[in-house]
Amino acid sequence: MGAVPQLVISTVLLGGIYALIAVGLTLIFGIMRVVNFAHGEFLMLGMYLAFWAFALWGLDPYVVLVGAVPIFFGVGLVTYALVMRGVVKASHNVQIFTTVGLSTALQNAALVVWTGDFRVVRPWHSGVVIRLGEAAFNLSQVVAFAVAVLFTAALVAFMKWTRAGRIMRATAQDVEAATLMGIDTDRVYRLAWAIGLVCVGIAGVLMSPLYSVYPTAGLQFVLLAYVVVVLGGLGDMMGALLGSLIVAAVEVIGSYLVGSAWKEVIYFVLFIAVLVFRPAGLFGQRGSETLGA
Amino acid sequence: MSKRRGLPTALILLTAVTLVSAALVRDGEGQALQGEYKVGVLEPLTGALAFEGKRHLEGMEIMRDMINERGGVMGKKLVFAVGDAVDPTAAASEANRLITREGVKIITGTFSSRLCGAASETAARHNVIYWETSCVDPRFNKRGLKNVFRTEIDATGFGWYNIEFIAKHLAPRFSLKPNELKIAFLSEDSSYGQGVTEAARDRARRDFGMQEVALEYYNFQTINDFTPIIAKLKQLNPDVVHHIAYSNDAPLFWRQSREQNFIFKALVHAGATGYGGADFGKATGADGNGPFALLEPGPGFRVEALRPEGQKIEREFRDAVQKKTGSYPLGGHQLAAGGLWVLKLVLDQAKTDELEKFRSAVMALDLPVGSVINGWGIKFSETGQNANERVQHYMLQWQNGQLVTVWPEEFSTLRAKWIPLGAWDQRK
Amino acid sequence: MIRDGFLLDGLILILLWGAVSGAWNVAGGYAGQVSLGHSAFFGIGAYSAALLATRFHQSPWLGLLVGALLATVAGLVIGYLSTRLKGPYFGLATIAFSQVLLIVASRWRGFTSGSEGIPVPFRPGLWTLGFQSKVAWVYLILGLAVTVYLVARYLETSRPGYQLAGVREDEDAAEALGIPSRRLKVAAVAASAALTSVCGGLWAQYVGFVDPFYVFSVDLSVRFALNSIIGGIGTAIGPFVGSLLITSLETYLRATFSDFKAGLIGIYLIIYGGLLIVVVRFVPQGLVGWLGERLRAVGRYARA
Repeated sequence: MGAVPQLVISTVLLGGIYALIAVGLTLIFGIMRVVNFAHGEFLMLGMYLAFWAFALWGLDPYVVLVGAVPIFFGVGLVTYALVMRGVVKASHNVQIFTTVGLSTALQNAALVVWTGDFRVVRPWHSGVVIRLGEAAFNLSQVVAFAVAVLFTAALVAFMKWTRAGRIMRATAQDVEAATLMGIDTDRVYRLAWAIGLVCVGIAGVLMSPLYSVYPTAGLQFVLLAYVVVVLGGLGDMMGALLGSLIVAAVEVIGSYLVGSAWKEVIYFVLFIAVLVFRPAGLFGQRGSETLGA
Repeated sequence: MSKRRGLPTALILLTAVTLVSAALVRDGEGQALQGEYKVGVLEPLTGALAFEGKRHLEGMEIMRDMINERGGVMGKKLVFAVGDAVDPTAAASEANRLITREGVKIITGTFSSRLCGAASETAARHNVIYWETSCVDPRFNKRGLKNVFRTEIDATGFGWYNIEFIAKHLAPRFSLKPNELKIAFLSEDSSYGQGVTEAARDRARRDFGMQEVALEYYNFQTINDFTPIIAKLKQLNPDVVHHIAYSNDAPLFWRQSREQNFIFKALVHAGATGYGGADFGKATGADGNGPFALLEPGPGFRVEALRPEGQKIEREFRDAVQKKTGSYPLGGHQLAAGGLWVLKLVLDQAKTDELEKFRSAVMALDLPVGSVINGWGIKFSETGQNANERVQHYMLQWQNGQLVTVWPEEFSTLRAKWIPLGAWDQRK
Repeated sequence: MIRDGFLLDGLILILLWGAVSGAWNVAGGYAGQVSLGHSAFFGIGAYSAALLATRFHQSPWLGLLVGALLATVAGLVIGYLSTRLKGPYFGLATIAFSQVLLIVASRWRGFTSGSEGIPVPFRPGLWTLGFQSKVAWVYLILGLAVTVYLVARYLETSRPGYQLAGVREDEDAAEALGIPSRRLKVAAVAASAALTSVCGGLWAQYVGFVDPFYVFSVDLSVRFALNSIIGGIGTAIGPFVGSLLITSLETYLRATFSDFKAGLIGIYLIIYGGLLIVVVRFVPQGLVGWLGERLRAVGRYARA
């Protein structure tokens, strides 16, 4: 079957992009136990960062990528101080509506300031096509995929082998014990939030040569990022990577066999089903207790 | 959490507020400051559709100034009361405001099908004329309402023109008879996409017996990757891809088709978004050569092909747009301005905005193609729709970063290129 | 009495959005089940009214009833989900549910006319819910608002209401006391769904056009919650106060900043986003609760 190699490659590359978006979301879920409803808006901000750097100063997105890390870390610290501090211990309502409010505010701020026009980032390498046998793909896709894998690996290593990572995991597992041990949980949450935003911010930068940039661009990806995170298990980063591949596969194979229009129904139904029947995700162990039941 | 307000207190409060507001004695601000005639303009000026809505408003304003230089409407200066129709609720509410507070007797606009339905309903209930310039919902004028009129063709008209172009202009150049032509329908899933695609499918099948090899709808907001669809289409090997796209999906499909080396003979779209919008050229640059989009006339338009009165107004309109925006008129400008100009003709004829006489004047207008701007003619049906054949539309093609007019050939100095499209890197 | 159509329309919208926010509040405020997908029920109501009027040529009143029934069924499903999922995860599931309905409505061309939506015809008469006069609409929507208000008051003063409050505050303790928490939660969500659907049906008759991308949108769902939170979540009058503030500000801004300054209108949405963040954290009882406390503080001071 001629199409199979292409479909496989498309799945893998698309999965890479989804993973980059989801890994930040699942980190925030996992450490803070908070759903970041504004995740898509930070993705959008990453895309706009790349756009304005390109439009104003001609900077290539891959150059901006380097700067995006400290920029989004800073954005994370600022938004944490202004908005997110104390949210973890607050009521469910606060947890939900803080990020929902943030989402509304950011989306409309972008709409007012930058208008709804569709912008494009076209660096010199945006047309480079790589062919692998019968399959073809764009250079930017491969770079996004490579960065996604590297970043996830780095994050996993960070969480597993560094002191900061272990402290974060400990806090996530048992917040009372962590406090008793003298861990400043506020700093842990702040770090998790900031790292989460860095992930999604650079995702936005990496995606800017591939997709149009507009204020509601976040919507294009955020809902399925939630699906990925739930499938992979809250807080489980390897799970996020695997979940991304599953969602990408559903999309690609679904589009090929059944048609694109219904693909969302498939993964939304899958989403609800996993939430209800396997709340810990298809692979994960943790998180089920906070989901309910 | 509940407060001991007591049922009586709150109920009284609520009812009091209601009755007091309802009892306010206020007349709608009247019409006719001496020498001015106010018309309501309803467009989406905030939200996702704002970029197109603002272009329409701009076109309206340019045409309004032109009209006022030529004696205004019914001898009075034309002024606007503008409303922002961001969603159906706002559209109805703003229409209501324009009618009751601003006292307009005619509302024009509105660009999007989801808005014109609600706004025109409100207008009907107040017996106000609704003069639509752009929305394409075919049911707009089939609701039995006597006050709705539309100057632009509807979705079936778009489909009609597209298939006309494919069958009469492209097929022979592919050395194919129309019923030998394999056509794939790809479309975004909104009201616009569905309306135009279904109309095109219908005509392709009924009038020409074209072979439909694929029908693929997708959500333009969430489409991230066209490769599965392209893989499918490659196997089906269509001659023509009829793609109705929005602004973010058109460049994506075009780029991925190139990457996948998906060869087809032509791509045809309709309307001012997607392949018909400036964003496509910005997104694809030199790689964007080839796609066709059904639109109002662009560069290459032979103004001389119009009738003398049409030439005059068309030239003046282009000059005015050039002066105001520094560029060629865009689709949104042309639709809005065209509609407003026709409104002026009707009002000058009827000399009133009273519905019955207005309707008579509308029905009495009978101008052939080439008489007014955009090369349009005018002939309204009983249901208030300007006839598809009179509202001349044109096929534009992306050539070297510009959308140029290529069809019908009598209206253009330029010709369509790359028929068939051939290899991706051969289209210079 | 001479009426100003603009103010009447504004009033109708304030009451309508207040009513639907109040309906949301039954589940979100009183039962503590915060749904971000209530537009699902609104859309069911809107489509039921529109379809019964256009496709089946029945009275829209019947459409309201059918919509309420369908929404109750959907509400039972969502209610079941609420017993399995807590807080934000329930919210996510409700979003997914509303989006599934959106896709079904926008693709089922044969039944719902797909993405093109349904124009709702206006046929004058009581039976066809065709009121020419805006004043009639004011009274109708006022009736709806009062009904929703009464339901909320019932939940504040009745035994099931107290039990529900117990479930909301501490479900484990409530269970220990023998309160049937699951049943109550499901019932609350179903009731909320039915009320929301009636609002949707009346909205469809008032505005005259059902567009799937609007009636099933996430923005609309957030709007219902927004009114309640700012006004006072878990109070009967709170959603109406919130709606009064937000809807009138929105209408005023739209009337003032028309034409090209319209881009500024979007600023109010930024403000509301920020307000949501601030209110939910520092004034969780909402404006009504806050005012109530101020008044009582004054009362205490006066009495002292």
